[in-house]
Order: sequence, then structure tokens, then C-alpha cells
Amino acid sequence: MADITVYLCKCFGEIAATVDLEIVRAGLGDNPSVSSAEIVDSLCLNRDLETMAHQIREGVTQKVLIAACSSLARGDRIVRGLVHRGVRRTDIHLVDIREGCAWIHAGDPDGATGKAERLIDMGLAHLENVQTSDDVSVKINNEVMVIGAGPAGLAAATSLARSGITVHVIERAPHPGGMLRLVSRLYPKDSAASSRLEPYLDELERNPLITVYPRAKLQSIRGYTGNYKIRLSSGDDEHNLSPGAVIIASGAKVLLPDGLFRYGEVANVISQMELETRFRKGAVATKNAVFIQCVGARCQDRPYCSTICCPASIKNAARLKAENPVANVFVIHRDIMMPGSVLEGYYRHVMAQGVRFIRCEKDRPPEIIGTDRIEAVSVYDAVTGSTRTIDADLAVLSTPLIPNDDNRRIAELLGLQLDRYGFFREIYPMHPVETRMDGVFICGSARWPVSSDVAITQGEAAAMKAAALLARSQAAASDFSRVPGRKFGHARVNVETCSGCGNCMAVCPFDAIRLQKVEGKYSHVSRVNKMRCKACGNCVSVCPNGTMQMPEHNYLSVGEMIRRAF
Amino acid sequence: MMVQNNEKNPVLVVGGGVAGIIAAFDLAEMGRTVHLVDSAPLLGGQVAKLDKIYPTDHCAFCPLWTDIKKVQEHHRVIVHTTSKVTDITQDADGYNVVIVCDPPAIDESLCIFCGRCVDTCTKGAVRPLWAHAYPPAYFIDRQLCAECGDCVDVCPTEAINLNRTEVELFLAVDEVIWATGFKEADLSTLPEFGMGTHPDVMTSLEFEEWIAEAGVNKGTITRKVNGAVPKNIAFIQCVGARDQRMLPYCSAVCCMHALKQAQWVKRRNPLIDCTILYTDLRTVGRGYNEYSLRELHESAITFIRGRPGLIHPLPTGDAIAIKYENTLTQTREIAKFDMVVLNGNLQTSPARKAADSQHIPPLNGEGFVDTMQDEIPRYACGFNLEPADIAESVIQASSAAMKVTIKEELQK
Repeated sequence: MADITVYLCKCFGEIAATVDLEIVRAGLGDNPSVSSAEIVDSLCLNRDLETMAHQIREGVTQKVLIAACSSLARGDRIVRGLVHRGVRRTDIHLVDIREGCAWIHAGDPDGATGKAERLIDMGLAHLENVQTSDDVSVKINNEVMVIGAGPAGLAAATSLARSGITVHVIERAPHPGGMLRLVSRLYPKDSAASSRLEPYLDELERNPLITVYPRAKLQSIRGYTGNYKIRLSSGDDEHNLSPGAVIIASGAKVLLPDGLFRYGEVANVISQMELETRFRKGAVATKNAVFIQCVGARCQDRPYCSTICCPASIKNAARLKAENPVANVFVIHRDIMMPGSVLEGYYRHVMAQGVRFIRCEKDRPPEIIGTDRIEAVSVYDAVTGSTRTIDADLAVLSTPLIPNDDNRRIAELLGLQLDRYGFFREIYPMHPVETRMDGVFICGSARWPVSSDVAITQGEAAAMKAAALLARSQAAASDFSRVPGRKFGHARVNVETCSGCGNCMAVCPFDAIRLQKVEGKYSHVSRVNKMRCKACGNCVSVCPNGTMQMPEHNYLSVGEMIRRAF
Repeated sequence: MMVQNNEKNPVLVVGGGVAGIIAAFDLAEMGRTVHLVDSAPLLGGQVAKLDKIYPTDHCAFCPLWTDIKKVQEHHRVIVHTTSKVTDITQDADGYNVVIVCDPPAIDESLCIFCGRCVDTCTKGAVRPLWAHAYPPAYFIDRQLCAECGDCVDVCPTEAINLNRTEVELFLAVDEVIWATGFKEADLSTLPEFGMGTHPDVMTSLEFEEWIAEAGVNKGTITRKVNGAVPKNIAFIQCVGARDQRMLPYCSAVCCMHALKQAQWVKRRNPLIDCTILYTDLRTVGRGYNEYSLRELHESAITFIRGRPGLIHPLPTGDAIAIKYENTLTQTREIAKFDMVVLNGNLQTSPARKAADSQHIPPLNGEGFVDTMQDEIPRYACGFNLEPADIAESVIQASSAAMKVTIKEELQK
């Protein structure tokens, strides 16, 4: 059927000087699917756009093939201009005959003309066979579930509630607060952890939009962006929630230094968290304290830096020094990780207070000396090149944060990725609180070890992303495209031919495919969740009989394009 | 003179780098009208000029381009490029802002990137803004332009007008988010680092541009002085930073930036020796420390702990001598390098200083926005709040957008 109009852009001679557009147009005359072919000066200027859109609206033509520049140059604007004027995106196809043809083959006009003809022929093959996915629109529930009530989760929950969104906070522990309940003071302002926590706890009490589920355990998660179905237990009670978005703020745990630096074997070799406990109980009297950094971090098993251990040790070293100004307080470190303005300033301040820093080497770790109690620490000082023995009545082992055990379970329930250690992975550094599942956000130490300040910032950022999603009460599957205007619909199953082998379900990275029993069929049939599908095409490539197809890039269109290319 | 109206609780975002873009997009999604102002002709800020980003080793351009496009096409975001905030005053309803736009001579919406103006210009004044500019368009460097008008005559789309004049714009906005980012600090006050003494002593952003795959050298590593392949390159960390004479703080991004550059040098030419002279190797993000280990084992990069006391070209001019103490071996050494990359001298951008009103956000002693001073809530994100890499800047941006949203809700 002749329903495609081809527009050939001269681009003020940029294309026409190399590609002979008259020959291209003449060649198109034989093509049965082409109703007409026009040569125009410049498609990207509004005048020609308007003419084109007018012809489509008047029914002169149904589909348009635009042979012009690449989409990164001005092609995208042409397409966008047409869509803006009411043309369906799938009825437009852009073929680049400038950058990839006229410009790079400037010395070979005949070759360039031939290439342009074939490129346009491929474009026609696409337009002849392209189908359109049916979009689907869902209601976005104005509720968010926050997993974890530490600083990140509390910041996210209160931010959302203050902007008018119902929040369900689920917490494994009996009380909200997370790690803020375990530490006594916070760097860099040496403020009390309770003073940071209290405004959030007040808000939980006061704000009717927030519900806290203590002693909670997730049972099951189903659903999709905008409408998750969650079953959980809280104590003895069962709850069913249907939030529009989920924020993971489940935090991390501290590595116990078992078997390291004679921990547990000699008295007064303690972990950083034990020191925090002692601080919460009252003053810690010490004459000679030594902090040892990178205990179980930046090593073979855990090659990462846990970010918070250097500032935590420096904070506690300063406190020991403040409580007993004549005490000798040493921090033995490998690199002192105090990046930025605030932390570096704090480091300088604590150094000026008299806390002393010794740089050691990875291969020559310090040794704890003493039989029952710690008596001294022997360390190779890398900067002076000598081994020193420091009297010590307290050694504090600074261990990294490690991922929570149930991260894997949450990730499986929600279809998320973990990194090699078990922390939740973001989709990309430009989108650091977003995951590959739309509507699921990560923040705080569940994502990567961070201080409470940064966790709060991240909690607010995750709340922002969730609030932006919930700002629309209704959303279409096509709205969730990371590249604007580039979503290629979603996979489509032919129910008649599906054998229910499940290959597609196994390869889907977005957990969008389920096998379902259908009336009158012996086998199960694949079913695609359009809200979850990202049109990656993995399912199409493993389908044994072509049942699974991407309508915008179906096998007829792609196969015919390849055939005509050669 | 124009006055904007019919807007819903408008917000001004100053700075169109990664932080500004994300803050603007988030607020626009929340239904706010956003004015996004940047002094450059294109959005993207410093990240747009980067060749690669750590720790993914991807190009900086593609993901950034996606977000730039989202903001540009958002119907609630009004982008003001080549514009500066010249005055801000606060009243009971919010802020009154004056923006001065100096429109570029080439209208980006008409430029088809044919390059005829470039071929015509005898002064070399017409060029793309940076390698990966989106949308692609040429710009005229007014410093070099002789205003002969030849380019105007050859332009097929009549996109060039050399006589465009400044436009003043008055805005009334509810809130302002400061995201003015960073610039490289002038190193002339620290002569021992040898900046300006030899073409092959350059800052890390200059080096990034010099070795960029889309840049002048198409990714090959050569010396500026003679085009030869360098035998060795030294990366000097904490130049001007963690230094009481200049920037007392740690710029936070430079360790990873140097590791990334050294790695790309080794990938493109394994025969070039790379040495990083550092103070502390601060690799605190996801995959950052592993990135430094990869450097150490696979790419065989030499790490020396020490900060040079003197960087100076040899009298013959064919190499640069670096005098330093290796503080881990306690030896004083002098080494010859073909190229020297200076890293660390990042300070907050001065764009903000254009506005001389009392309502400019107060700065702390180190030049960062002090959001807590004088009880008036201020909103800032990115490097002008605290030295931050891309991920941290973007998180701060969304957080600032959330704070602005909450403030609005509380006032209802």
C-alpha cells in the first residue's frame, strides 16, 4: 500500500552537494509503498515542518520517512516537532544521510548516493512492517513504603509526609532510630546523636501520615511501579500495603573484629561500637589510647574503604583527648580518609587538639603487645621509617560497615541488583538513588557506607524521587523511559503460539514476565507486565518460535531491513 | 526588558551543571516552574567537558546528554543560557532576581553545524564550545572575533547576528537553589608547581581536554611542546589544596580523577610510565578503592607519597624536573618527566559574586555556601556546598529540591 511519504532534505547543500537527491527520488518512484517523495531545503526549519505535519493531518499521507541528519544533530528536533504537531512517533522514521553518509563519503558522490538509497530503503522496510505496542496507564498510589527507620529512612519518611504523602515505615528493630541509637555523639560538630534523632521521632509521633511498623518482616512483594502489593508482619500482626513507591533505607551493620588484632583475647582491645557503648554509659578514662584503622577493610576479603571509619575514630579520639587532656591518643592509619571541606577541617582541628597520627603500611600492620591486658602497640611508622612501641591501655579497632544479611532477600523480592559485596546498586552515578526498577529507590548505608549526615541527605534525595513519581496520579508505561522519546514500547506475546517454555521469564532482567494459565490451553502462557518491561529484547532473542516480539522492532521489520541492506 | 508571569511557585536554580540540572528537573516534576540559569551557552557544566568518568570508565557525555535533554524539553523548565544573575533582593513573597542574558552571536536553534563559518573565519574565532556539546552548535569567541561579518554572509540559515545585545530579565521567584559548582583556581601564587613555565605542565582539566577521545588529539597521548609521545607523566595531587596558603580543604574528587586519567593513559599507550605523587589516596566511594588497586596491579602505575617542592623545566626545554621527598622512604629525589598534570586546585565558582546583594547566600571562610547562617533557609547543592563528585552532587541536588518542596508545603 502506498502510504509513505519520503522527505529528502538538501540541508542547504550539505547533503545535496554529495548525494544526488534527484537520483534517489527517481529510484523511489518504483517502490509500491511510497506515495510520493519530495526534496526540501531544510526540514528542521519550522516552515517545512509545518507543511509536513499539515499533509499528515489532512490524510495526504499516513507515514513519513525523513532522510536528513542524525538524531543527535537536528534530526531529533524534526521528529519532536512532528510529534508536537500531533503525528504518532511510530509513523515517523528518521534516516541519517548527512553525518553517516554525505559527510564521511564526501569524496565519493556515487557511492554516497548508493548508500543513501539503501539506507532509505531500509527505513522504508522498517516503516512498512512496524507495529505499535499498546500502552497501558495505571493509577499511582499516593503512598510510599520506607524499609528501615535509621537516619536515611527517617529523613525520607518525614520529608514525604511533610509533602503530603502517606508513608509506611517498616523497621526490624522494636524502635526507630537505627545506628543513631548506638552512637553517642556525631562528627563534625560533636553534637549528641539523640539531638539529631529527636526531631524525627517527634515527627513520627505527630504526623498522622506516618505509620511505623516495628519488629517488621517482609513476607512478599508483588506489583509494579505505582502499585506495589506488599504483605508484611509486624510483631504478631499481618498487614497488606499498596504503596506507589518503595524506598530502601535498611542500613548496614558493623563488622566484628573477630580474630583480628587479638580482639577478644586481650582485655581492652575493643571495637569502635564498644567504645560508643562505653561513651553512652559515661566517661571513658584512658591515659594511652590507640585507634587502629582499616581493620578488616581495604584488605583481600574486603577491598573497599568504608568511608565512615576514619571520621568516627577521629571523633572518638578527640573526645578521649577532651576528657583527659594529658592522655596520649594515637590514630594508626593507612590513608586518612577525610575528603572535602568539612571533614578535612575537622581533621585539622583534631590534630591541633593534640591527637597524634601515625601512618603505617598495609603489609606491616601494628601489633598488640600484652598477655591478659593490652600493654602497648608496636607499629612501623612509615613516615619516619622506624618501628615504635606505644604504651597503650586501650586499643580501638575501627572496622568497616558490611551489608545486612537480608539485603539479598529484599533484592530478590524487588528484582534489584546488589554489588559484589551485597550493597544495593544504583542504576548509574548520574542517578545515584534510583535502581533499575522504577519506583524503587535506595539511600543510606544500604546503598554504600555513609555517615548519618550523608544518609539524611540521601534519604531526602530518595524521597524527592519518590515524590516526583507520585506527583502524577496516573502514569503510562511509556512515561518510564530514561531516554525521552526513545521507549520502544514493550514485548508482546502471541498467546496462540506460546508453548510456555519459560525461557523469556528466565532471562528478563526486570522481572516483567510471568507464566500464566489460560483457559482452553494445555500449557501455560507468558504474560508481560507492561509497567515493568523496558523493551530490552532479551526475551525476543531466546524465544524458540518467534512468539515473543517487540512490536516496534519486530522480526519482519528488522529482517527486511537487513535483507535490503545487502 | 521582560517580566515573566503566570508561573506556579517559580524557583530559580543558579548553575546548569549536573547538580543544577537534576534539582531543576526534580522540582519541575513536582509541578514547579523552574528558571535554570547558566553562564555558559550550553548546559552540562564541568562534567560536559570530561572525557571519561570514574568509576564506571564510561564517557561522561551520554548519560549527561539524556538528562540535559530531559530538562531542555521539560515544559516547566525555562533555560537561560549565557545568562548571569546580577541582582537578588528578598521580600515577603520571595526573591526578586535580575538576570542579564548576553545572547551568543550564533543562534543555536538555527545552526545546522555545517561549519561554513569556521572555514570562512580567518581569526579562528568560531569553534564548537567543547567536544561533546549538545545540542551541537558553533560559537563565536568574542575575544578573537574581528567582526568582519564574513560568517554572517556564508551562513545558510541566517543564524549569525554579530550585533545581538544584552537582554535584562526580571524574575520573581519563591526560592533560589545555588549550584554554581567549581572552577580551577589560579596557580600563579604557588610558583613552585611550575604552572605556565612549560606547555607540558598543565592542570588536570586541561589534560582531560588534551587527551579526550573527541578532542584535538582523538585520544592519543602526545606532548604539547613537540607532539612526541611522552615517556612518562607525573600526576601531582593536592596542588593548592590541603594547603594553608591557598585552599585549606581537600577537593575530594582529584584522587579518583588522577587515577582515572593515569589509567586511560596506560590503556591507550601502555609504554608511557605514569607516576602519581599523592598525600593520602582518598578513595571512599563504591568501587573507588578497588579502582586504585586495579591501577596498582594491572596498569603498573607508580605511587609516591610526597608533594613536590619544585617543578621546573630543564634548561634544554625537553623535560620537566620534579624535586620531591618520598615520605615513605624518607629520600629526597629529583626526577625527569615529559608531562606534568597538576590536580587539586578546585575552588567554588565565582559566578555568584556577580550579584552584590546582601541576599547572596553567605559563604564560609573556605568559600562554600553556608546554609545555616542567619536563620534564613538557603538551598545549595554540588561543589559550591561541599567538594563533591557527580553522584554526591546529584544527591545533594535532589535533597535541596526536597527541602524547597517541603518549605512550600508547610506554607500552605
